[in-house]
Amino acid sequence: MFKEIKQVLQEQIEYRSLIIRMATFETKGMYQGHYLGSLWQFISPALQVAIYWIVFGIGLRSNRTIDADVPFILWLLMGLIPWFFIAPTVIQGSNSVHQKVSLVSKMNFPVSLLPTIKIVGNSFQFFILLFIMFFLLIVYGVDFSVHLIQLPYYIICLYLFLFSFTILSSTISTLVRDYQQLLQSMMRMLLYLSPILWNPESKGLPDFLSNILKLNPFYYIIDGIRSSILGSGWFFDDITYTLYFWFLTFLLLYFGSKSHLKFKKSFVDYL
Amino acid sequence: MKTKVKLKNIYKSFNMYAKRSDKLLSLFSLHSKKETKEFLAVRDVSFEVFEGETIGIVGLNGSGKSTLSNILAQVIEPTSGQLEINGETSLIAISAGLNKNLSGTENIDLKCMMHGLTKAQIKAVKSDIIEFADIGDYIYQPVKNYSSGMRSRLGFAIAVHTDPDILIIDEALSVGDSTFTKKCLNKMNEFKKEGKTIFFISHSAGQMKTFCDRVIWMHYGEMKAFGSTQAVVKEYVNFTKWFNNLSQSQKKQHKQKMLKEQFTSSKVYQSKIEKGGNIRELAFNIFLICPLLILGLLLSLGY
Repeated sequence: MFKEIKQVLQEQIEYRSLIIRMATFETKGMYQGHYLGSLWQFISPALQVAIYWIVFGIGLRSNRTIDADVPFILWLLMGLIPWFFIAPTVIQGSNSVHQKVSLVSKMNFPVSLLPTIKIVGNSFQFFILLFIMFFLLIVYGVDFSVHLIQLPYYIICLYLFLFSFTILSSTISTLVRDYQQLLQSMMRMLLYLSPILWNPESKGLPDFLSNILKLNPFYYIIDGIRSSILGSGWFFDDITYTLYFWFLTFLLLYFGSKSHLKFKKSFVDYL
Repeated sequence: MKTKVKLKNIYKSFNMYAKRSDKLLSLFSLHSKKETKEFLAVRDVSFEVFEGETIGIVGLNGSGKSTLSNILAQVIEPTSGQLEINGETSLIAISAGLNKNLSGTENIDLKCMMHGLTKAQIKAVKSDIIEFADIGDYIYQPVKNYSSGMRSRLGFAIAVHTDPDILIIDEALSVGDSTFTKKCLNKMNEFKKEGKTIFFISHSAGQMKTFCDRVIWMHYGEMKAFGSTQAVVKEYVNFTKWFNNLSQSQKKQHKQKMLKEQFTSSKVYQSKIEKGGNIRELAFNIFLICPLLILGLLLSLGY
């Protein structure tokens, strides 16, 4: 049962330099014909942050803090910056096989690299935004605690989850085109169902509802990233949740690699 | 002589689904009760090609030439039959595999990269490609602004510089002007001397005669003839003459008769689907999902 997973992962490792080259190439090409070029990678998140801050921070919360330690804008950024990476990567990664397979099938180029190229391509922006966020945190004088060392753990979680999810999702999306539409509206909904703009664990929501929201794996990642920065808990404090997340990731990876390898040869027939 | 390409009883069928949902059901092999219509684009083709040969492929539109070339280039998998290819193939079709939003030079980078060339190799080969394509400053423009001739020039230039041993040219030369065609034919002669195998799909009997060693005639999915260029091209030209002289209704009748054959002879090869294995696998998959459901339940109960 690990044979398929091994094969797909091996392809990624073997072609790692090609993945990085293709990813840089694509990111460069994305904003071609725009006067402001790759500056748009930062302008559009900045505009979105501004609007969410005005609506949810100033409008709905009148700038009250959620966590006593940090202003709302920083709390918001800790959720939004991962989300700016997650949402497009999930959608583009799932679409990547359908979009590119006709180009790629003529060459001896493993199809399983296509979603990874999207993940790596979007990471450049993610890390720069993360860097800017840390700069702001320092400017605001936030005290980091020892919990910060679990940030790499959550970033690894994020990458493994995205890889597992997109490898399965890109196969489904190629076979059944309706899935891509469903995924897009799901991602739009998940923005509100994850702890990004508001805190589901606050008093407003009954316990069982906020527990159900936790089933969403992005909840685990975003909540985790936030708690490592604010120092509000370890990942092994909630062992059920950690187990749940890893098991879900493993299953997605297992079914993803299996279905990917099964349909790899016939993707072109489904275009 | 070394065998380069060997095809044995190759079939390629396309399912003709009446509804979209039938296609979905066929994924899970649930449609077996209902019969789906199948179209055999290529049926029972077998041949062997040796190193250094140039093979022409002729045939009417829709006779399976492009399907055959896609099978040779390993773009699509044959439905059944054995395919043996010793070497790297490269397919050139009109505007094949060019990214329309990128400029010519970027397409060169991208395609070379996907062929597995290193940065240094790309740099070395790039100026050759630009010179061969010879489309002037258009090379810096997005490919969407190209004429069809320019596209095939660029596609051809890239493909011949990625150093394939088996080159498949699918009507790509028919849109180029005579100067470019001549350049390509020279390049192909060079390849021939190096002992590379070339498949050449064209409607031009003249090019075939000057260039090919042997010719395959595809006719409604079947290989009607395979032999020396002179004989097969003559036979094909005679057929087209005969066909053109038929009256309108006779042509229609002939076509319908042939197409019907392509639809009906589909039961011949049908591969069997293993049923027993499916159920065991399904049970195993459900077993795998169980722990996740339990963990999910625990989580939503607040443990």
